[in-house]
Amino acid sequence: MTTTVAGPPGAAPARSAPKGEERRPRRPWAPYLFVSPFYLLYVLFMLVPVGVSLWLSLTEWVGLGPPHWVGLRNYRLLATDISFHRALGNTAVFVLVALCLVVPLALLIAQALNTRGLRVRDLWRTAYFVPIVVSPILVALIFGLVFDRQFGLANALLRALFGTGGADWLGDPDLARVSIALVMLWRWTGYLTVFFLAGLQNVPRELYEAAALDGAGRLRTFTTVTLPALKPVTAFVVVTSFIGAAQIFEEPYLLTGGGPAESTLSVTMFIYRAAFQRQQFGYAAAAAVVLFVLVFGLSRLFNRLLGIGRATS
Amino acid sequence: MSYLPAAPPPPPRRALLRGALGLGTAAALTACGGGSTTPRTSGDVTLGLWTHDPGYEAFFDKGIPEADRAGDFRYHLKVTRAGAPDVVTKLLAQAVAGRGTPDLVGFEIGSFPRMLRGDIAERLLHDFTPDIEAVPGLKEDLLPARTAPFSRDGRVYAFDSDTPMVVYFHRQDLFEKYGLAPSMATWEEFAEAGARVHRDHEASMCVVSTVGSDPGQVVQSFQMLLYQRGGAFFDADGTLVLDSPEAEEVLRFLCRGLRSGFVVEVSDYYGAGMQTALKRGRVIGLPMAIWYKNYGLVTNVPEQKGTWRVRALPRFAKGGGVTAALGGTGFGVVEGKANTRAATEFLFRTWLTHEGQVRRFTETGYLPTRRSVYEDPRLGAYQDEFCGGQRLFGLYRALLPDVPPFHQSPDQSILYDVLGGNLLRAYHGDLSPRQALKQTAADFRDQAGR
Repeated sequence: MTTTVAGPPGAAPARSAPKGEERRPRRPWAPYLFVSPFYLLYVLFMLVPVGVSLWLSLTEWVGLGPPHWVGLRNYRLLATDISFHRALGNTAVFVLVALCLVVPLALLIAQALNTRGLRVRDLWRTAYFVPIVVSPILVALIFGLVFDRQFGLANALLRALFGTGGADWLGDPDLARVSIALVMLWRWTGYLTVFFLAGLQNVPRELYEAAALDGAGRLRTFTTVTLPALKPVTAFVVVTSFIGAAQIFEEPYLLTGGGPAESTLSVTMFIYRAAFQRQQFGYAAAAAVVLFVLVFGLSRLFNRLLGIGRATS
Repeated sequence: MSYLPAAPPPPPRRALLRGALGLGTAAALTACGGGSTTPRTSGDVTLGLWTHDPGYEAFFDKGIPEADRAGDFRYHLKVTRAGAPDVVTKLLAQAVAGRGTPDLVGFEIGSFPRMLRGDIAERLLHDFTPDIEAVPGLKEDLLPARTAPFSRDGRVYAFDSDTPMVVYFHRQDLFEKYGLAPSMATWEEFAEAGARVHRDHEASMCVVSTVGSDPGQVVQSFQMLLYQRGGAFFDADGTLVLDSPEAEEVLRFLCRGLRSGFVVEVSDYYGAGMQTALKRGRVIGLPMAIWYKNYGLVTNVPEQKGTWRVRALPRFAKGGGVTAALGGTGFGVVEGKANTRAATEFLFRTWLTHEGQVRRFTETGYLPTRRSVYEDPRLGAYQDEFCGGQRLFGLYRALLPDVPPFHQSPDQSILYDVLGGNLLRAYHGDLSPRQALKQTAADFRDQAGR
């Protein structure tokens, strides 16, 4: 027996469907088959490595032969390792530089580049973006020359301007951190500027006109119109900058090698050094787990504070 | 009339896909296998060679006919080049994977200590000790100073490429111009004259590297003079012996030299800073290993050809020798492979023969590691054009007894990290030499063995 559905008057009678066809698809597993590659790859390349790292962090392994189970020993050693504490401190400094200097500077430059009537706007945008395109090796070579104590450009400039320029930019612990911060500024500001610029171009022009009608000055317009409108972009930039700076590697690795006296050693460099220079894979994995927990926890905190993912009322 | 069988119908697409999948899986599984480990004893053999230096590749390539004539193998080389630290990293990764390891590996001396961690060397590398003993006279002829860096518990895991003696390079023209007698015998005399030269001509007669990104270079400046003075980083058991009166004396000497201008800081020995210093005549002499002529001087200041000379290091008044050793690359063979025997024989028939060692010097500039080769008249007749036609082998022969052994420890990179930082603090006057060495020993104890 087949069921028929009554159509509107004058319409052709509906085709009769086989029994049960509408309620259950013929291949119920097909959708899962189509999405399975993602989950397979996710498990293979995300969950498995994280799980292996966790397990490895509880062992002592030189890179060959079977790992030896040591329980929480690596974590106990990390807690008293002065080098690791230095690396955490240095990384915190780099994070602060990223959040307190690079992000605000990027916002200011984006605001300047968004000004009406700016000449050769594209040239400026390109100029600010170029550093991120340059190979890190070249960056290290160039800044190595700039910061050379005896024959560097920075000291030559200081000598020409102020008559003194013997600063040991890469050899003095404090100045080495400053040098890394300067390179971070040079390299990442233009990149973040692009995000802010995109955000600025989406701010409705009417809001600025309304602010102008209300008699708001530039600063007032910036704080009451621009900043609130840029909140989603700012939240994204802050969180990604935090994660990037917390995992900083290239700048200190290429420019100072973490020195002098570990003054620019970052946590990722600490992990690399333990694994690939000292053959302490278990210890490196433990440091990586600590970094993961810190970055994940603080990122969640930032997300909550900045309201990322929450619906706006 | 001919009979042609009817063509079979084309296979359905699904069957084709299944077949391809099956074949691919079989191929992948075959490729993942560890490969045969049955030792090859003769015939054609292709050795996988990993090195960081194309010079070694050329050397071994040219040595194939000699090795073919001497044994039952007909050799071919498949060369992979990588950065010195990457050679070790990739070797370990491939060893963990159980396939894809090379047969012959060149370990830059600074990267080799990673192989000494745990039982990596024992598991992965062929122990040459019985092979050395099987060749009459070889054990006595090989310089112990150059087997020491690549040995552990009396087992030799690699053969060094060089006896990289440390000598004193100097600009003869400027020495004459500034009234410096090249016959000055002690470092103390050098330091006194160097202070005067710096005051009058803004030139320096000694160099220390302060490159932040390379603790190895920072350490090397100190290491050369420390070993010459009779000190060491590690003893034969790998125990740290750095904190010694000799070390303190050498560090104090360098710090005083930096204050007087006798010693100058350069960012690194090979880069633009050093090039500028050499071109401007700010550096007119430096202690360095003999290979620095090719890698530092010729590349940075080729126009100064003929003006440089080489002499033995001045002595320290309180004792020590007239040379040290710095650098080197050890070639080892991966154990437990089908080509292990072939690779070992290849190494013995190219790297360690008398002819091979002569050729290595003439082609790559590296000094022999066998004592007897130093007597070869061809080497004695060698004139160095960059050094004004100097006959250098007489000097090298005289220095040979003074070349100190250099023992390595698995914790060496830890020492380099902590020592590099403390040396810079001492150079800059933030720590006294005594404090810098004590701090280094303390930091090393804190980090080693984790």
